[in-house]
Amino acid sequence: MIMNGRAISPGVAEGEAITYAEAFSFLGGVDGKTGKFNVRDGTIDGKVFLFPNGKGSTVGSYVVYDLKVQGHSPAALVNRSAETIVTTGAVISSVPMVDNIDVSLVRDGDRVVVDGNKGYIEIKGVDEVDIVSSIVMVDGKILTLHRPEKAHHYPGKWSLVSGHVERGESPAEAARREINEETQITVSYPDAEMPVFRVRDGKTIYNVYAYLYKLKSADVKLNDENTEYRWVDPEDLLKMDTVDKVDFVIDSLKGCF
Amino acid sequence: MYLTKDEQAILDGEQGAGAQKAMELVTALGKIYGADSLVDITSAHLSGASYKTIGEGGLKYLSDMVAGGAMVAVPSTLNPVGMDRTRWKEMHISPEFAEKQLQIIELYGKMSIKKTCSCTPYIGDNVPSLGDHVAWAESSALSFVNSYIGARTNREGGPGALAAAILGKTANYGLHLDENRKPTAVIDVEDMGGSVFDYSLLGQAVGMKMGKGVPYFRGIDPSVEDAKTLSAAMAAAGSVALWHAEGSTPEAGNFDISGLEHITIGKKERQEAYDKLNTVEDVQLIALGCPHLTPKEMHDIASLLKGKQKRNKDVEIWFCTSESVREQCAEDVAIMEQFGPVLADTCMVVAPIEGTFQRTATNSAKAGNYLPTLCSQKVKFAELSDLLKVIE
Repeated sequence: MIMNGRAISPGVAEGEAITYAEAFSFLGGVDGKTGKFNVRDGTIDGKVFLFPNGKGSTVGSYVVYDLKVQGHSPAALVNRSAETIVTTGAVISSVPMVDNIDVSLVRDGDRVVVDGNKGYIEIKGVDEVDIVSSIVMVDGKILTLHRPEKAHHYPGKWSLVSGHVERGESPAEAARREINEETQITVSYPDAEMPVFRVRDGKTIYNVYAYLYKLKSADVKLNDENTEYRWVDPEDLLKMDTVDKVDFVIDSLKGCF
Repeated sequence: MYLTKDEQAILDGEQGAGAQKAMELVTALGKIYGADSLVDITSAHLSGASYKTIGEGGLKYLSDMVAGGAMVAVPSTLNPVGMDRTRWKEMHISPEFAEKQLQIIELYGKMSIKKTCSCTPYIGDNVPSLGDHVAWAESSALSFVNSYIGARTNREGGPGALAAAILGKTANYGLHLDENRKPTAVIDVEDMGGSVFDYSLLGQAVGMKMGKGVPYFRGIDPSVEDAKTLSAAMAAAGSVALWHAEGSTPEAGNFDISGLEHITIGKKERQEAYDKLNTVEDVQLIALGCPHLTPKEMHDIASLLKGKQKRNKDVEIWFCTSESVREQCAEDVAIMEQFGPVLADTCMVVAPIEGTFQRTATNSAKAGNYLPTLCSQKVKFAELSDLLKVIE
């Protein structure tokens, strides 16, 4: 899949991803002579290195140059938000760099192409799928569905009313259809929605469109996509074994409960 | 970001690979910080001069730049280097370090950068004017020219300032724009003394309290020396790059300060700053001149030392200044040399003193912040007169 960002340092490169979840200082974070990381296992040599942002000493820019000179340069750099030190290091060392990328969606070992001319990255072999996820609420309780043990994604987990957006369908239409298919409840307009967000599971990245529907009453009739349903308080739902990001959706929409 | 036809041509490589690289860097930084265009600069001041800080990567970068024919387009000066060029043996520097350091100075010289290496170029070698756009690295110097002179620069890094010097342009954002030069807090200064030590404590206290931002001082009327010390302290304890002083600095009258947060810095706050910096009593080295000593400070020190003798042989004292000030102050230098070397174009922070000393005394908050981290020193932080008593 392609993730659009912003071109920072020109050039195009492909390599295996290596990631770091926190702000990274090149000075001290990696050995300029060998390319070995000091703050995690592995090497930066030939890899696409993804991390949220740079920090620390401005000398870090020269460490990037040192890596280049020693033949242990990263293939490319990708940031959530570029700052002076890493940008300077990338440009003076002719290492392609892109920022404005949600680096948390990339995993160690992914094949990643970085286009520092046009400003995007491509994660090879990872597909993008649009899904909807709806909070259906009656009297402050949220409808939660139990996924079958043999489901392909998130088996045996509790989820909101979710499903794929089909071709030619808007996310809002998909949300209405999924609620109807999975529970036989009919809804019209959502009471709230949140900006689309992404979540990764295996080789799939989901673009999640989440909605809130508040109903006076509801009579649930499951189809075969789920095995059980419960009406639960939001705080109880957070304690259950749920699919990813249910906490994030509840937190984002709870102001409208 | 808008680029003129000529600027775009440089980015497309029509003036060679060196200029193209410089343009790539200036435009990349401009893009990150939301610049709308480039702006012409009148001067640059570069950091990244000591072999101790930039290492092999930096040395190789500079030699590659020189091999590519890089040349600065505006008057440019350089930060202090890791040793006095001629008296490095007195600083316990190894010949290997000295060789690398001399190579770095040579490389900057080939790019037409003045070989005087100081953190106070505004004392004589490189003096901007009110309203000039410049590209300065060195946190203390850039804060001084922003604040006390009213020139305009962001906190440039070494390679960014070099790229700007090569192009004669930098990206137009941040402190180049009027709206970002407004004060963000009023600092009410109480019970203030007038020494380097006092201004160090004031700067340390404000840097610790504000982090970044633009302080507007009331209750001080700083001299050049005071402004130098204050700028250095706030840039080291926080990341302040611009400040104003009511009735004193050139832009202070331009702003409406009503509604701003007020912060009082009195004796208590300065004591907290002192406690943070002072970590040892018994020292091996007293290092003065952070930032580099001005002619007035050289004279003041010489006056305090005149007619006295160095009795304490266990403690060394270094006086750090620029080559041009050392030449100017021959009489004072003669007195000071009886106590310790007057070192030019280097300082206790960028020299590799950690190979020789573990405990160093200073009257500068900037040195007090960096000696522990960059030189593994424990620090005694005190008034100049108290420090000089140690060696008498």
